[in-house]
Amino acid sequence: MAGPIEQFEIKPIVALEFGALDLSFTNSAFFMVASVAIVTLLITLSMRGHMLVPNRMQSISELMYEFVANMVKENVGQEGRPYFPFVFTLFMFILFGNMLGMIPYSFTFTSHIIVTFGLAAMVFIGVTVLGFAKHGTHFFSLFVPEGAPKVLLPLIILIEVISYLSRPVSLSIRLFANMMAGHTMLKVFAGFTVAMGVFGVAPLAINVALTGFEFLVAFLQAYVFALLTCLYINDAIHLH
Amino acid sequence: MAFRVGTELVSALMVGVGVGWLLDRWLGTKPWLLIVFFFLGAAAGVFNVYRAINGMSMTPGFRKDDGRAETKKDGSDADGKFP
Repeated sequence: MAGPIEQFEIKPIVALEFGALDLSFTNSAFFMVASVAIVTLLITLSMRGHMLVPNRMQSISELMYEFVANMVKENVGQEGRPYFPFVFTLFMFILFGNMLGMIPYSFTFTSHIIVTFGLAAMVFIGVTVLGFAKHGTHFFSLFVPEGAPKVLLPLIILIEVISYLSRPVSLSIRLFANMMAGHTMLKVFAGFTVAMGVFGVAPLAINVALTGFEFLVAFLQAYVFALLTCLYINDAIHLH
Repeated sequence: MAFRVGTELVSALMVGVGVGWLLDRWLGTKPWLLIVFFFLGAAAGVFNVYRAINGMSMTPGFRKDDGRAETKKDGSDADGKFP
């Protein structure tokens, strides 16, 4: 019986090694490519018709587009329009990564912290650059809360900087921990089912419920990631 | 929500400890900065949780977001689509 952690193992599909560099095409990379390919195909093929009254596939695309468009609009406003493609790409990539991971025998690339941290670091650096580009050195006023006593300012600025630096960490840990914990739990209960024989019906029933719950988490975490990206963009654009 | 609050608290603490540890190694002041930044990180974590609970979008700065409400009123079309 496979251990609950074995599902997260990275296995090279096409081994590529340049000296000390291991650039193998792994199962993680494969599912990232699959996620990008499926999203691209889904959007481009379903929007081919350009029908005024959309068919089913076109409805799916429009639904997802409007979902993210509304999210950007509500949280950033009209100035957020240039950043819609970025948020949409991020949301779809993570959503399909999470959903592909729900297929049995597949691999969830969002369950690795280096992947989620890479995404979160991209958001963090992008938002910081955006803030500096929009406001110049005035961006530093983000770290000075209004109405704070002058005596406390050095302490508060330090705390605010730590709070700002903790953004990519919390963003990445939230996604990775949710995905990893959920998939581990599924595997653990599946292990109980095998080990308990006839009484394995009970953990099997729990597993059915957990699978449904995991679909919710897969969607919700992609949503939260995109939402927080919107909020960070909003902060960089509308400085307090 | 509970999980979100938990990660906010822990991640700020992690960053605080990380910054303290790195500064200690750089300045050779073991272990004092680690201890100081541990508490600063904990404070930042509590700030983050406070903001998350109050819906202040988890950002530095204490004010509630006025900018968002303002931009919604002007200019945007009613059906929620980008023109």
